[in-house]
Amino acid sequence: MRILFRYLTAKNVVRSTLLASCLTFATPMMAFAETTLNVAQGRDPQNLDPIDTFRLAWGSIASNVFDGLVFRGEDLQLKPGLATNWEFLDNETRIRFTLREGVEFHNGEPFNAEAVKYTFDRLLGEEGAKGPQRGNYTSIREVVVVDELTVDFLMERPDPVLITKLSGYGAMIVPPKYIEEVGEEAFDMKPVGTGPFKIVEYTPTVGVKLERFDNYWNGNANVDNVNIRFIPEDATRMAELLSGGIDISLNIPTPSVETIKQSDVVDLVDVDGPSVVITRFNTENGITVDPRVRKAISMAVDRDTIIEALLGGLASPISSAQGERSFGNDTSLQPYPYDPEGAKTLLQEAGVAPGSEIALDIPSNNDTFREIAQVMAAYLDQVGLKLKVRTHETSVFFNEIVTNGKSGEMFYFGWGGWTFDFDNTAYLLYHTGERNNPYIDDAKLNALLEEERATYNTQVRRDALQKVAAYAHEHALDLPLYNLSTLYGVNKRVEGFVPAPDDRVRYMDITLK
Amino acid sequence: MTDQTQQKSVRAIPKFLMSRYFKFEFIAGALLTGILTLLVLSSGVIYPDGGAKVDLLARLTPPFLSSEHPLGTDPLGRDILERIIHGGRVSLLVGVLSAIGSVVLGTVIGLFAGYYRGFLDTFVMRFADVQLALPFILMAITVIAIVGPGIDRIIILMIVSQWVQYARLVRSSVLSLREREFVQAARSYGLPDVKIIFSHILPNAMGPLIILLTLNVANNILLESSLTFLGLGADPQTPSWGGMLSEGRSYIQTAWWVTVFPGVAIMLTVLGLNLLGDWLRDELDPLGQTR
Amino acid sequence: MPVFRFILQRVFQAILVTLAVTLFVAFAIRLTGDPAIMMTAESSNVTEEDLSRIREALGLNRPFFVQYFDFIKSLLTGDLGDSFFRGSIRDLIGIALPATLLLAVASLGVSILISIPLGIHSALHKGGLSDQIIRVLSLVGLSFPNFWLGIMFVLLFSITFPLLPASGFESWSALILPAMTIGIILTATNVRLVRTQMLETLSAQYVMVARAKGMTEGVVIYKHALRNAAIAIVTFLGLQFGNLIGGLVVVELVFNWPGMGTLSIEAIAQRDYPLLQATVSILAIMIVAVNLAVDLVYGLIDPRIRVA
Repeated sequence: MRILFRYLTAKNVVRSTLLASCLTFATPMMAFAETTLNVAQGRDPQNLDPIDTFRLAWGSIASNVFDGLVFRGEDLQLKPGLATNWEFLDNETRIRFTLREGVEFHNGEPFNAEAVKYTFDRLLGEEGAKGPQRGNYTSIREVVVVDELTVDFLMERPDPVLITKLSGYGAMIVPPKYIEEVGEEAFDMKPVGTGPFKIVEYTPTVGVKLERFDNYWNGNANVDNVNIRFIPEDATRMAELLSGGIDISLNIPTPSVETIKQSDVVDLVDVDGPSVVITRFNTENGITVDPRVRKAISMAVDRDTIIEALLGGLASPISSAQGERSFGNDTSLQPYPYDPEGAKTLLQEAGVAPGSEIALDIPSNNDTFREIAQVMAAYLDQVGLKLKVRTHETSVFFNEIVTNGKSGEMFYFGWGGWTFDFDNTAYLLYHTGERNNPYIDDAKLNALLEEERATYNTQVRRDALQKVAAYAHEHALDLPLYNLSTLYGVNKRVEGFVPAPDDRVRYMDITLK
Repeated sequence: MTDQTQQKSVRAIPKFLMSRYFKFEFIAGALLTGILTLLVLSSGVIYPDGGAKVDLLARLTPPFLSSEHPLGTDPLGRDILERIIHGGRVSLLVGVLSAIGSVVLGTVIGLFAGYYRGFLDTFVMRFADVQLALPFILMAITVIAIVGPGIDRIIILMIVSQWVQYARLVRSSVLSLREREFVQAARSYGLPDVKIIFSHILPNAMGPLIILLTLNVANNILLESSLTFLGLGADPQTPSWGGMLSEGRSYIQTAWWVTVFPGVAIMLTVLGLNLLGDWLRDELDPLGQTR
Repeated sequence: MPVFRFILQRVFQAILVTLAVTLFVAFAIRLTGDPAIMMTAESSNVTEEDLSRIREALGLNRPFFVQYFDFIKSLLTGDLGDSFFRGSIRDLIGIALPATLLLAVASLGVSILISIPLGIHSALHKGGLSDQIIRVLSLVGLSFPNFWLGIMFVLLFSITFPLLPASGFESWSALILPAMTIGIILTATNVRLVRTQMLETLSAQYVMVARAKGMTEGVVIYKHALRNAAIAIVTFLGLQFGNLIGGLVVVELVFNWPGMGTLSIEAIAQRDYPLLQATVSILAIMIVAVNLAVDLVYGLIDPRIRVA
């Protein structure tokens, strides 16, 4: 009813009445042929507006609803999206985008240069300031409309990751008229984009219902509806998947990997993800000030066994805080080998008495890491270190422990930079003054990171980022643990599912048997 | 509800207790509570390791297969029986300490509030109202978010939120006892108030208190398991029943024993205490004050 | 008019209690950390300037009492304002409150369906074997951790025998497991209540009279005794309402039930001050109102209680 009403007020009464009467005729006849894909994910994005979120849970819904100027699919290659072409002008201070013609928002509003300008004015302006996305795009000074289908991005400073960032999250193009009409609050709950599906209904904590958008610019989706449910309990989400109530489940918990592998109805699909897990060292206080101690700890923990036993083998060991697909990863850099004897020797050299106590701070909401932390304690016990695992409520962990540098000798750090560019992670780990970096203040690292950020030259950037990784490794600034695979449980009746490494799943090419 | 019934029941306890030991509630309750408490108290002797021995090769061993791990192992290969016996320490500690803390605090305040009335009395009653209106779990989550998790904080929280029920119970006993002849008589002899309160009034209010205490221990063991289940209680390296449940939850599909056995341990302990409480109620509270 | 004064006094007290609860919640949550950091916890490139911009936009740098009065105003107008992260609070509560009430009512239903027949049976066979068994079983019911019982039901009815949905809100069958979980725990106390109440009524004068008049046993039980037992149960539940809500919190979480408990826990986790204030205050108001109602009804029936 409410939708109909909105159409009526939208001044095209004639069209909408016709549309409504068509629909009432069409619906009962099509009811039999309608296909619905049922999806479960662990978290509720809580707000569907692109500028109000940073959550993967948002990404896995929104990649079906919105488009950016640039498109990045499951293969992580950057391709034309709502822009067909872009070029760097004026000594790389201006980027010109040519826009795609004939694209339409779900409400019928045309996509054009005005919409692009509106999107970025909103993101960088007052409305964007209330949300977490603005900070990722402040390298843009202004977006200027050249003509109906051309826009220029005037840059405040170089931003080598900008093109990637334009393919997701805060840079999703939104419809100006619709937002002005319904208001910001309504847009949070029922946004409109240009993507292959439109949002029918979002019920907080319950789910989102999507329906195919028939005027999509890039072909039409195969399924008519997608019903996405939020099921935070792992056990219940898995029960629904295994019983067939759910066709595709995101966020597969490691304990369920075996069950899914044995199932006759569900397949486990995995792909290297962006999420890495490391523990950071306190380089300011405690025995970990000594690099030998940090190296010893790195050598005392058997990562391969942890990955095999606790993560079902669905993760890979890493030598820096990035996975293999990340830009800036250097495959020749090897993690410290598992060598308890060597670790003992190093500890002895550093003058650490056997039985010394150290503490590891972790957030309490990560069940898997809570187990891993206890296994690490068992490993460290064998080289004579007593590791005390302290859990903190998530907010306290970020607010107090990490940001204010109140951690013990070690603390947890988990990150999933969806851009797959080490720049993102490296900068917040090693640059002086970053919130996640309470202890490290190193001129060399600062210089490398600033150099890398100031250029669009890929070779220079890759070199600099690899040097950062090598430097962190050499001084054992962190203990890099593993890169998690992104896992999906997919019912055998689903065809054409391509796993997205970054959780930004797309449902349009899926068919149901 | 006359003086006589009250007096008679209090004085008569020792005599008829003898025969009442043969009631099912008492035998089952005492056996359950006794055996579990003994096991838990001797945990350090039976398993000196402290239930922390990790063995990844033996992870998720099913129960009843080997004498080495009779109840199987958890995701880190730790023996579940061993962890249950060790984990009982946390449950019993929290249950007993929090109940004793609230009984002492509540009794003292209740005695004075009932004896003197006035401001203290009003405060107790209004505090009780606020307490009733605030769901404990939500309050606990908020407060733990401020002060951080830990067993000690949970005990304090429970005392802070539970002393009121004792205070109210004691207060109402005092209100009725205050006007009795023996109290009036003591007063006319010029005995100090404190002495009257503790040696004349308190003994007569004991029965209901003991019952409430028993049930309170039981209830707080359940509460502790809920709070630890939500991640607010014991740290991960201290085995505790609630913690085991929360760790086992994600394995429910593949390894039911990780979740089932600690839950059974909680249930049996609480059941034992409830049986005892029920028996005590029949014996000590014919008037139904604690019902 | 002593009755009028009594009512006025109780209502005034209820308002004071509600105010105290809201003040406590509003104050306590503000001690727990910074929503701006929570909001940006997973985004990179956040500067101190960004954080203070967010705080400004959320109105966090105003004095506490200004924020508190804003909240009280929004509560009184029923508008409830906006959550920090997720739009209109009224919309969120519009989903959560009915969900919680539905679950509460369904649990009560389950409990009454089990406890009344069992309680009556127990009372009619007082001291017999079945009475003993029922009494002990009801104690067993009291001894389950509620969330564990929920997990066991999921294990049994959703995993081992996939009969019922383990979670969700969409179909009626999803209501069964959570309602059974809470219902069984409520039943444990209710059975004993019905039993005691039945015993009392059965020995009462008018029942004796009814019997003497030659009414059949069934009529006596259902017409007279049951009605009294029902009143006792309703009163008891009124008094236990707060506990019921508290118990719902964890069970809602286990079953992913989108109720007030789930909403409150999410609000605490994210430091969503306005949302938490609203949910806890509404729960508190409900509890206070129910207690007040019980209090007033009793006070009016039995003047002696008014003094205490």
